[in-house]
Amino acid sequence: MTRRLMILGMLAGLVVGAAPAAAHDDYRIIGTVTKITAKTLDVKQTKDGKTISMRTDEATLVTRDKKKVSTTELKTGLSVVVDARGDSLEDLVVLEVRIVPSPTKK
Amino acid sequence: MTSKTEVQTPTPPSLSTLATTTVIALVVAGVLLVTIVLPAEYAIDPVGTGRWLGLTEIASPSLTPVEDVSPAGAALAPVQNGPVGEYPAEFKLDVFEITLQPYEYVEYKYHLEQGATMLYSWTANAPVIHDLHGERVGGGEPAEESFDKQDRRQASGSLTAPFTGIHGWYWENPGGEPVTIRLTSSGFYSSALEIRSDRTRRTRKLRPLETLSPIPEESAGTGGR
Repeated sequence: MTRRLMILGMLAGLVVGAAPAAAHDDYRIIGTVTKITAKTLDVKQTKDGKTISMRTDEATLVTRDKKKVSTTELKTGLSVVVDARGDSLEDLVVLEVRIVPSPTKK
Repeated sequence: MTSKTEVQTPTPPSLSTLATTTVIALVVAGVLLVTIVLPAEYAIDPVGTGRWLGLTEIASPSLTPVEDVSPAGAALAPVQNGPVGEYPAEFKLDVFEITLQPYEYVEYKYHLEQGATMLYSWTANAPVIHDLHGERVGGGEPAEESFDKQDRRQASGSLTAPFTGIHGWYWENPGGEPVTIRLTSSGFYSSALEIRSDRTRRTRKLRPLETLSPIPEESAGTGGR
């Protein structure tokens, strides 16, 4: 009986646990690449200097001048506009990275 | 005088028990995969549980979730009387100005009932990516519809809402220098919603007609006879 209850509890946990994922939202991160690995991209935001660390995957698109380019074109120091999706700034998956000219200093 | 302690070794499960529990585990995992994981992660919903539990929304959320920002009270829906559209309340006014930093975007939308009209003019000091669109509130397809989508620097016009929802603009600064946009509008809208590219959202207050005052008459001059 106890075992059945545990299994039921775990199933309920799975279903309830899926709920927070419903908060998926789209974010735009504008800044400079500070670190890049095969699975992650770190960007220092222009507006507040905060570094946002994001995950990349095989679907991540990298573009320059509206044309798709290889992910190897991403280098630290480049200005980028990142569109990412996730629950919060701490949990983002990169959808697209646009390599753009550096913004004019205000 | 040594005491013996008996240690009970648990009996290992038989092969048939192991096989049975493995099969049960695989079946449960398969059911969870089909009913919960696939709909939530990939919007694949073969048995309809994703739609029933709202899980397919997780896999493909709308870019801008529609928020019903309409205040309580009578809906500002027109009643057509020949060429005249009659509304239960006065129209409102709004002036919105924003400076978009390089590559930032903003969405600015009004809640309009189906058939309600607004007038607008906006200008920017540089070309912007622009999409005048509407999003349905309360369901219906398509959830979002574009009415004018092209790069622009200014526009003036009127919009009669084809459906009840939030209607307005997406403006994006495509360049490396700040761009200022100024919108002036009037219409039978009930509220305005601003969504910035950093995901901040706020409902903006609209200007009632009583805030308008007559333009002061020019002092009597020498014009005329």
